[in-house]
Amino acid sequence: MMRLWAVASREYASFFRTPLGWVVIALFLALSGVFFSSRVLQPGEPATLRPFFNIWWGLLLVVAPAISMRLFSDELRTGTIEPLMTAPLSEATVVAGKYLAAVMFLVTMLAPSLTYVAVLSSLAPIDPGPVVAGYLGIVLLGMLYLAVGTLASALTSSQTLAFLGTLFAFIILDLATAVAASAMPRPIPEILFAISPNVRIADFAKGVIDTGNIVYFLASSFWFLAVAAVVLQSRRWR
Amino acid sequence: MIRASGISKWYGPVRALHNVSFEIPRGQIVGLLGPNGAGKTTTIRIATGFLPPTSGSLSINGHDTVEDSIAARRCIGYLPDTAPLYPEMGVRAYLDYRGRLYGLARQARRAAAERVIDRCALGPVRDRRIGQLSKGYRQRVGLAAAMLHDPPVLILDEPVSGLDPGQILEVRTLIRELSEDRTVLVSSHILSEVELTCDRVIIIAAGTIRADGTPEDLLDALRADAPYVAEVRAGDLAGEEVASILRATPGVAGVMVSPVADAPGYVRCLVTPNRGAGDLREPLAAALAGVGGGGLLVRELRRERPTLEQFFLTVTGEGAQAQGAGAAVAEAAA
Repeated sequence: MMRLWAVASREYASFFRTPLGWVVIALFLALSGVFFSSRVLQPGEPATLRPFFNIWWGLLLVVAPAISMRLFSDELRTGTIEPLMTAPLSEATVVAGKYLAAVMFLVTMLAPSLTYVAVLSSLAPIDPGPVVAGYLGIVLLGMLYLAVGTLASALTSSQTLAFLGTLFAFIILDLATAVAASAMPRPIPEILFAISPNVRIADFAKGVIDTGNIVYFLASSFWFLAVAAVVLQSRRWR
Repeated sequence: MIRASGISKWYGPVRALHNVSFEIPRGQIVGLLGPNGAGKTTTIRIATGFLPPTSGSLSINGHDTVEDSIAARRCIGYLPDTAPLYPEMGVRAYLDYRGRLYGLARQARRAAAERVIDRCALGPVRDRRIGQLSKGYRQRVGLAAAMLHDPPVLILDEPVSGLDPGQILEVRTLIRELSEDRTVLVSSHILSEVELTCDRVIIIAAGTIRADGTPEDLLDALRADAPYVAEVRAGDLAGEEVASILRATPGVAGVMVSPVADAPGYVRCLVTPNRGAGDLREPLAAALAGVGGGGLLVRELRRERPTLEQFFLTVTGEGAQAQGAGAAVAEAAA
């Protein structure tokens, strides 16, 4: 546990020791702020953050791979993977530690946006249910994106490739679900809808917290992390 | 203690190591020498548990690096080649992080960091970021990190690369001190470094061990075949006549004669002895002194002093490309 936390805290701190972390947070908050003032904070609009959450999903698709891309790629590129993997800790511990750091960074990035909630609630009473569900959905979606990003990062020493790999994996899945599914024979559309995070995240924005959806996000994230640990281990069989 | 038993390593169809066995007891510094691509780094990566061998096994203090990997890794302090570090971290923060990876408690981490900062002379840069440090300091930070958890086995890949002569001297002394109660495996390209630092040398080439022994032993083996060089004023004699005089001396296997460029009238004789012929300097001098009435004037008669470098070139099969004395020794030893 101490080793997992050592990996996680070093990784988390390194987001802020390099420009990447600050740039990601700044861009995310700037875009969110523009969106909040232009779409949410309008006279006559209902006091809800729902359009806001919808936009965040799109932003997250770009931001999450930017967070996860360096987790392993950087270590593979600079060779620091060698002292790391010859220290007495398992591949699973390293993957879990790095992933935990990425999730903590995601939460750190989202935290300042609570001021938007405070601003909105000072102007009009808001229903807390959809807000809580919305944030939960964003964090769960982010966790899935980061898990896939962690795997992509473990596969290549190129951060660019890790970033694009994660981004395109989800864009292709989204396109397949939204556009191509209707043209395909059964049971392909059913399968696509079942594995599509976008279909499930829509429930959260409506304020519905479905246990099945939570399990979906956690289990699929876990699966991708397990594969990432196996990828790291595979060095030993090759 | 490091024990390698018949380790082989294949990278796909490429064989990097073939049936390599050695044993390094506690208190010994062993230098791993070899040309690029010989299998040094592969050996080191197998020893540190970073890669498994395709066949054979390697154990560190009795822990197999594959079956009991975590326990084996706990016993090792490892400095990889070029000391990869996180440039954005501070020196102390990095050492603290490494201490946590090895499970040291906070107090122990602080004490260990102070100890290695002191031993590796990192005091002036302790609060600096690693990315701002010179290569020499970075190398020492890597070395400090390797020593941090006081491991019984130290594996150092090119520990003095990038250091200036003063720092090399410090690191050499440090490694000597550390080896007193530890097992140390050092890889190096710098032969003189290994000769000065190590108790024993393992020379590896094309994935196999070519030689294993103390630097003295290796040189003795070579010394037995070392040629003699004599510079003689030939006077009226032709070079070939001088050669036949020397060739008649018991124990001489062959003689090559060439003119000396900067001294007209002189010839240089390269005398190859028979194996086990003993010291031939006196018989050679006597043979030359017995020519004609007053003998031939000998301005130089010496035995080639073999260096580890020549030995290295000989056993790694690179002697053919070597120049000068190295080539001569390689031929003589072949």
